[in-house]
Amino acid sequence: MSHTTVKQKRTALKVARSSKTLNVSSGVFRVNQSMTKTINPSFSGKSFSSGSDSKVLDKSLAQTPKHTVQVFDEHGQDITPHPLYNPDPGVLQPKQGKIFPAHEMSWTTMTDFPSVAFQTTNASFTGPFTRSFFGSASASRTSQTAESVTDETKDFIAKPDLSSSLTDVQTRREKVKEQVREDIMDRVVDCYLTETETIWLLDIPAVSVSVDSEDAEAVKERNNAYTELCKNRQGNDKYVERSMQTFNDAPKTKEVQSDSITMVDKAVMSTTWDMYDSFCNKSDVSENTVVSAEGNKATVPDSSSMSHLLNPSGTDQSMSVFSTTSTVSGSSTHLEKMTVLPVEEEPDLELILQSDKFKQDLAMMERVVLANIFQPKLAAYRQLPVIEDPDCVQTQMEEESWTEQTKNSLSPFLEHLWAFKCELTMGRNVSSMTWNKKNPDLLAVGYGQHEFKDQKPGLVCCWSLKNPTWPDRIFHCESGVTALDFSSCNANQLAVGMYDGTIAIYNVQTAEQTPITDSSDCANMHTCPVWQLRWVDHDTGLAGEEKGEMLISVSGDGRISKWIHYKGLECVDLMKLKSPNVTINRQQWNPKILSLAPGLCFDFHPNDSKIYLAGTEEGQIHKCSYSYNEQFLETYEAHTGPVYKVAWSPFCPDVFLSCSSDWTIYLWRQDLPKPVLGFSSGQKVVFDIMWSPHCATIFGVVREGNVEIWDLRVSSLDPTIVSLTSTGVNPTVLLFTPETDCVLVGDSEGHVTVYKLKNLPAGGSTQVETLEDVIWSTLSSQHTLGKTDGSA
Amino acid sequence: MLIVLQLYFSFHSNDRQTEEAPVLSDMAEVEDTLKRIQGINGVIGTIVVNAEGIPIKTTLDNSTTVQYAGLLHQLTMKARSTVRDIDPQNDLTFLRIRSKKHEIMVSTDKEYLLIVIQNPAE
Repeated sequence: MSHTTVKQKRTALKVARSSKTLNVSSGVFRVNQSMTKTINPSFSGKSFSSGSDSKVLDKSLAQTPKHTVQVFDEHGQDITPHPLYNPDPGVLQPKQGKIFPAHEMSWTTMTDFPSVAFQTTNASFTGPFTRSFFGSASASRTSQTAESVTDETKDFIAKPDLSSSLTDVQTRREKVKEQVREDIMDRVVDCYLTETETIWLLDIPAVSVSVDSEDAEAVKERNNAYTELCKNRQGNDKYVERSMQTFNDAPKTKEVQSDSITMVDKAVMSTTWDMYDSFCNKSDVSENTVVSAEGNKATVPDSSSMSHLLNPSGTDQSMSVFSTTSTVSGSSTHLEKMTVLPVEEEPDLELILQSDKFKQDLAMMERVVLANIFQPKLAAYRQLPVIEDPDCVQTQMEEESWTEQTKNSLSPFLEHLWAFKCELTMGRNVSSMTWNKKNPDLLAVGYGQHEFKDQKPGLVCCWSLKNPTWPDRIFHCESGVTALDFSSCNANQLAVGMYDGTIAIYNVQTAEQTPITDSSDCANMHTCPVWQLRWVDHDTGLAGEEKGEMLISVSGDGRISKWIHYKGLECVDLMKLKSPNVTINRQQWNPKILSLAPGLCFDFHPNDSKIYLAGTEEGQIHKCSYSYNEQFLETYEAHTGPVYKVAWSPFCPDVFLSCSSDWTIYLWRQDLPKPVLGFSSGQKVVFDIMWSPHCATIFGVVREGNVEIWDLRVSSLDPTIVSLTSTGVNPTVLLFTPETDCVLVGDSEGHVTVYKLKNLPAGGSTQVETLEDVIWSTLSSQHTLGKTDGSA
Repeated sequence: MLIVLQLYFSFHSNDRQTEEAPVLSDMAEVEDTLKRIQGINGVIGTIVVNAEGIPIKTTLDNSTTVQYAGLLHQLTMKARSTVRDIDPQNDLTFLRIRSKKHEIMVSTDKEYLLIVIQNPAE
């Protein structure tokens, strides 16, 4: 292919102006016909190789200057050999200069020219230095052709051949450029760098030293020595090329065996609290860890180290279970702990279960569990909205009972919430109840028989609202408990009065069974049952008298005593309840014999703590003064039976209630010797009465067999609410709750039932005026009637 | 007459000892409380777990106990870690899980876990 193109190209080209080299070459342009002909085939053989480099050549080089000489053969055909190379002194030439020579070199080397040919042709071209590379290239090329040519014309022909070949190469390069380019892309091109006369691989610029300088002599000497050395280099034994061979030792394999390296994954999670713990425990536990770590690391299964481990842990902390070693966050000690554990399991269990923390947690858990059950009741008690448990499935029965009650929702009734009871209290008679002054959820209940027979050891239970199934504190007493009161100053002190006359003060903070103090050592102790106890706070005290709280008791031996707690309990008599039956009997009693009427109850005036009422077994109510213990201020006589309870109204300062076993309840006014109102419903003994702390016109009554709530706004003849208890069971004590509208009823079976007052007519104020109105109206009606009403 | 009899009783009253509690071991009290909790209506089971997550006292069968102990131990660890990460001086005291059928209450401490499972519907 290229063959044809060569020919075509050749004929088309014309010789243009000639450059220097071409002049030179044209000078020897004596073309031998045979030469030209031989050139072609030889050249065509090279065409491929030259064409391969065509792409490198600059396009500017493609413009070939034309020859001025033309050659014609016999037949007149223009067989002017075209110059092989027409260099165009363009601007881009130097740029390509770097690349071109390399490729030109490769051009040469792709042919299998011996280096000798290269050298010889190189030597022949001395003139055109700028084109020396081209010259050498073409020379090497043409040297092949020169083989077929006679030696004479070798040099000469080389030039025209050079030019012609170059020209052809030029033209060919253009045409073939595109075709070959793609083929060349994948080729591996070897580049060899060799030095030429103008191109060196190593170039160290010479340092010039001035002749006048100080070093000039030394430099000159060195230069001379160097030139001598260069001269001597040839054939010098010092500079002989030699090769050496080293021995390759035979390789030998060697094996080493080691224990298998076990890989263990270890991870530690660094958390904020972990770091905090380590930091805190670092100083505290450093000794402990040293001791126990030693014990651990020494011999883990060794029993001696076991004991060694336990000892520091035991001595350091008596309370908590594991010593602080267990809380050290080092993983190594943890790992060791794991192995230690199996041996320590037994003491572990005991330690945990006996720790105080565990007991507290147990108690709390019990309350939590119970709270889940009693939550609606407690919510009702505390007057909170009762939210139904969404997951709780109410049984049919409950729903029915609920709807029944809601039907009767118009009339007031007592809603039963729950009952404080447990197996301990089964069968015991509730004799007194009192709220704690400080903690309104704490209720103290005393169990003891009222009657002389069936006396058994008494019991005081402190119940918490949060746990209706088991009391928080249980105090066993020797004899039946008849009176209870919590102190207001020291809210943990509970005074207990017993059937045998003993008064004991318990500290309810601890579960200790022994009271703080006991009155059994006192010489003046009561010889009869203490029926009522009260802590009274005297705000105003005369000079010489102590301020503060005092314990006042009334007993069946007719004395009202004040107890002082110094080293033991000592009492001072406030009043002796003299029996006034001196006057009743016909016979004149010896006034020296003082018979005392057994006192059953007393109540201090809410506003004036000097005045108090005392009710006796003989039916009289005495008004006494604290500071005057000889005589009563006044005596109210209306009851015919023992007066079980007197109670001042918390709202009206002049009004008080009294109840007695003669089936009646009297409402008195302080200044009137006869009762204003009397309440009776049925012929049943009245055990207990209490004013409601919320409303002035409401009071509760506990009779044999039923619980009554009277509301004087509604009616003074009939109780507003009557709640019947089960047969055989008598409610014995009544207690209103100071904060909510509930009432507690203790009965002879040992239950303390909590009721909620529902649908009582609510009043904004305490209805004091209403009460007074009622009283006033009653009095006025009495006056109009001319008779006092109220004697049973 | 009434008075005389009462005096007689009061002489003897001091002889009787009411102190029996200090000798009573703490274990008995703890056992009583645990029994009471278990006896509350609706309580399904009670488990006491030690610090490593091994149950040491239980009222349920073995497999259930092990399951509850393991799972709740992990959850408690996680909950405690959460609480303490927020404030290292704080600590978890109680954990309550309410589900459709039961309520699981866990009282936590460094040394033990007290787990009670209750069915509050009953």
